Formats: sequence, C-alpha cells, structure tokens
Amino acid sequence: MVEFTKQVGNKIGLHLRAAGEFVKIAAQFTSEVRVYHGDRYANGKSILGLASLAAARGANVRIEIEGPDEAAARKALEALFDAKFYEE
Amino acid sequence: MAAKPEFERRGISAAPGIVIGPAFVRDAERLHVPRTLVDATAVEGEVARFLQALSDTARELRAFKADIASRMGDDHARIFDAHLMILEDRMLIDETSAVVRNERLNAAAAFEKVIGKVIASIAGIEDEYLKERTIDVQDVRKRIIRNLLGKDTRAAHRPGEPSVLVAHDLSPSDTAQLDRSIVLGYVTDLGGRTSHTAILARSQGLPAVVGLENFVNRVETGDIVIVDGNAGSVIVNPTPTTIEQYENEIARFRDLEEQLLTLTGYPAHTLDGRSFTLSANLDSPDEVDSVIEHGGQGVGLFRTEYFFISQEYLPSEEEQYKVYRQVVERMEGKPVVIRTLDIGGDKIASYLNRSPELNPFMGWRGIRFCLTRKDIFKTQLRAIYRASAHGQVKIMFPMISQIEEVLRAKEICAEVREDLKRERYKLDENVPLGIMVETPSAVALADHYAREVDFFSIGTNDLIQYTMAVDRGNSKIAHLYQHLQPSILRLLRLTVEAARKRKIHVSVCGEMAGDPLSVPILIGLGIDEFSVSPNMIPEIKRIIRSVTFDECRALLRRVARFRTTNEIETEIDAFLKSRAHNGRNGP
Repeated sequence: MVEFTKQVGNKIGLHLRAAGEFVKIAAQFTSEVRVYHGDRYANGKSILGLASLAAARGANVRIEIEGPDEAAARKALEALFDAKFYEE
Repeated sequence: MAAKPEFERRGISAAPGIVIGPAFVRDAERLHVPRTLVDATAVEGEVARFLQALSDTARELRAFKADIASRMGDDHARIFDAHLMILEDRMLIDETSAVVRNERLNAAAAFEKVIGKVIASIAGIEDEYLKERTIDVQDVRKRIIRNLLGKDTRAAHRPGEPSVLVAHDLSPSDTAQLDRSIVLGYVTDLGGRTSHTAILARSQGLPAVVGLENFVNRVETGDIVIVDGNAGSVIVNPTPTTIEQYENEIARFRDLEEQLLTLTGYPAHTLDGRSFTLSANLDSPDEVDSVIEHGGQGVGLFRTEYFFISQEYLPSEEEQYKVYRQVVERMEGKPVVIRTLDIGGDKIASYLNRSPELNPFMGWRGIRFCLTRKDIFKTQLRAIYRASAHGQVKIMFPMISQIEEVLRAKEICAEVREDLKRERYKLDENVPLGIMVETPSAVALADHYAREVDFFSIGTNDLIQYTMAVDRGNSKIAHLYQHLQPSILRLLRLTVEAARKRKIHVSVCGEMAGDPLSVPILIGLGIDEFSVSPNMIPEIKRIIRSVTFDECRALLRRVARFRTTNEIETEIDAFLKSRAHNGRNGP
C-alpha cells in the first residue's frame, strides 16, 4: 500500500468537476483508492463520495492506494493535484 | 375552462422596458417523492427500475450536452461530464440498491435518502463556493427523480419558445446554460438592482423585475405575463384590456425613444447656454455600443464588479486590462471613470471565501475590502493604469467613509505607477483620482476630501440608503427611499459647494441623475455631469434643453424651504409641465 497527503490547491476546492477529474484517473487503475479528509472517508472511484468530502481550497487530503498498480496510480493522482485539477 | 384571474406583483425594477409573453417557470415544482413499502417479491423489480431511470437520465443528459456544446461551445458542456459520472457512481448504485433491499423502500424514496446524505454533507460546510455546487447534484437528482416518477424532464429545463424566464434566483452558471436568444425578460424572487440577473438583463437590453419574494409559486409555465421593467411590476394572466393598454405603452415607449434619439447629435445645454456632460453608467463592455448610440459623452461610472461575479475565479490582470482597454478605446478619448471593485453588499463572490455578513451593506465592502485585500486591489489598479495609455481614464474609489482610506488608496496608486514604470509599461501618470460620495460621513467632510481628490461622484442610491437608514428592498419601508427627501437635497448641496470651492469636477451617478423630476434640481445645484443608464441619456438631455439654468436655481431656492418630499415633488412637477413644450428640437 502507498499513502500520501496532498493539499487541494485549485481555487475552488474539490467540487464536483474536480472530483470527476479525480475519478477519471482513479478508475484507470485496478488498485483500490481511499481518500480521507478529516474524519470523512471516500472511495476514490466515487464522484459523489469525493464531493461529499467537502474539501475546500487549502484542505489536506490523505490518499491510500492498494493494489498491483499502486505506484503508477499514485504518480498519476499526484500529477492531477499538482496541475490543480486543470483549472488554473 | 374559466380564465385565470389577473393579478399584479410589485418588485424592484432591475432593467427598463416592457414585454408581454408566456412565462417559463424554472424549478417551480417541488418534487414530491412518494414513500411506500414494497413487497418482498417486488424488490428486485424496484432495483431494476432505478437502474433504468439512471440509463434514461444518462441518455437525456448526453443529448442535452451535445445540444449545449453545439450552441455554446464545449466549455459550457463540460460540467455535464461530471453529471454523467454521477449516474455511473458505484456508491450511489450500491447504496440505493441496498436501501431498497434492506428497508424495502420504493426506488425513488431510497434514492432520495442516499442523495440527500450527499447533498447534506456538501451543504453542511463553511465554504460558500462548494456549497453552491450542490446545485449540480440537485440538478441530477431532479432528473433521476422525474424519470423514476415518469415525468418529462426536458421540458422543465429550458423554454422551447420565446418566454419570460421566471426563477427563484439565477446564478451565473444557470444563465450560462440558458439559450438567451429566446428569453424575453427576467423575473426573479431574489436579487436587487446589482444582482447578476439585473446586470445580465441590462447588458442584453431586456426588461427585468427582481426581488418579488414568493413569485415563483404563484405563476405557472405558459401563463401570460407582462414584465414592466420601468415600473418594477409584473402582471400575471392579464385581461385583453390590460394587454391592449400595455401594447399602447410599448408603442409609446418606442416612439419616445425614436424621437429622443434624434437629439443624439445635439449638445446638452440649457436654453441660457449652461452645458452639462451626459455620460453613461456601464456594467459590462457589451453596453458600450448603447452608450455611443445614445449620445453618451463618456462613461461616468464603469462598475467593475461584473467580471468578479460572473465567473468562478478572480480575473487576472491581463483579463481585466483587456476589458478596460476595450472600453477605453471604444470611447475614443472620451473620459471613462473606472470604479474600483465594490464587491460586498449584495454582490458576494462566493470564490472569495467570504463568510456571510449579518449586515452586508454596512460591512466589508468597497474600499474597505480593497484595502485589506491589497493583492486584488493592486491587480485591478495595474490593469486600469495600463489601460490609461489608450485613452482618457479616471479612477474612482467606492464606499469612502474616512479620509485615511483616500490617503491609503492614493499611496497604493503611487506604488502601482512606480512598479509599472519600472516594468516599462506605458501609462498616463496623471490619471485623475476621485471618490464616490455615498456615505453621510463623506458629505460631512466633503471640504477635506475635495482637497485630496480630483473629482466627486455622488452615488445617490447608497447615500439615500445610508442617510434614511432604509433598505429599499424591504417593501414595508421602501416608501422612505425617495430622491427628493429634503435631507438628501441638503447633503447634495453641501457636497456640490465643497467641490465648487476647490474647483473640482462633480457628477451624480446614482439613479437620481436619471429621474426626470430630480433633473432640474441637479441643474440648479450646478453639478457638472449626469451619469445615467445609456437609454436615459436622451430623455435627460431633452429636459436640460427645455429649461434655463437661472430658473432651475430659483426652483432650487424655492424647494429648499419645504419640509416634505411631497411639497418638493409637486413644485417641480408643475415647473416641468410648464416647460414640456421646450427642447424637443434642434439648437
């Protein structure tokens, strides 16, 4: 299992569209993706789950990835955060 | 079937004009979701019905998305990708199916339960922007429910024929999804003159009435409505007599406008030769054509809130520069007064992460906001100064209530000028700096302010609101909001006298400047400039051309003795009637 923490850096937080971008990437991998924000948890392949995390700009989310392609999934998801969900 | 009875509702006039047409009511129906227990044998059928509703909804959304993309471009259609992903969401499907199976609930009620939790957790947080995003989930929710209940979903989402759009409220994302070409006018429950709907309507030249409170529930799609944006009222189910009356009114309005437009080329001076500058208030660059067409001699108030509230992120320096430059260039050397950001009040931009204020009109807005968010302020000033290289620009600060604010704003302007020069940008170093006089405290110290700035612009809307302590949106006390209150006349006089003494330019840019009854008084006061909505320019010009400066001064002296608005209005009305035959023709 790999685990890392990222800050939500796009201006408007992890809203529906940003959650959608996350799911698009997570769904390409067979590994399980779990996202934690405070005491909330969401399946990284569920757009509604991610949106329910209500992670505003600046929030830190912890991501756990477990499965055969976990390293590649981590790389792809980190890139998404770094690209600020392609919104800037 | 008996005809529905006619009735009228009064709200706030947000954009002028009159239109008659069928109503299209957005989101009128409160979806009633029945809740029943299903038989154990019917459970799997209920789950299948839910899955069917999801795929029906997906088919609709794909068609809707393609339609939006072809009409408005791919960018607008992109949000539907997220909507479509909701329909394939494993959590939604698994949890809803589980509720149907375990609690034996019907599919619609089970789905409501699951989606309700999602909406509650998004809506429960502090972040205003994310909160607003529940709209997207709500949108999908309604589509799925309608499909489960067998209702037509498409019809409820956008009008198929030219209609008057009736809604509780409209956000920028709502109007982005709208086919504006078939909207005849706007009517909303919420909002004020500076709400998104109002600004949009004015820039499209469509009538709008806002702040009607509980209107959405009183009218149905297809009901004929008359939107009277001049009077701020809406008539539902008008009788043929009423329709005829309004058709005449529309024709009269059009005639008057045509007649007045013939005045465009003539100067705005009184019969005895005192001339005034007639300029326009402007909310977005789309309105510049209208300013020129109506003979505006400049832009007396360019409100810059528009692009701070019409999009979902802060506009960059480049983006602002482009717009300011465009307006300045189109005005071809005529002055353009750019007001720095007056966010606050009813213009909250959700992405600025502002927590709601109990009393926004007395809160963190205008210059108060800009002096604490210096980053935003400087970005805007840089864009304005850069645009100053392309024409005649003036900068105006809103909501000034103590002198320190002016001193600080001037310092920041100086810093910005230095920075830009160092970066080798071209700019006009002597851009005049002025203030909005819109708080009673600014009037009280007008003599001090007149030493610090190059011009005053009196914002009568807020000045009246703050002086009379009246929220004009509150129908119980709206009668206190009047331009010709004796107290307001005194404040205007103090302000103009202070400006005169220092020989600085003074304009009036509030709605009072466009109120025919107030015009002779403003002439008599000796202001330099009227700044009004573009379409009001010809009418104000006609009045100016029909009177003499001397008789307006005498009129002002007479009404200055009165104690009530009623006496003042009666006196001016009689005066204007006696002059009505003047001024229609050439020089």
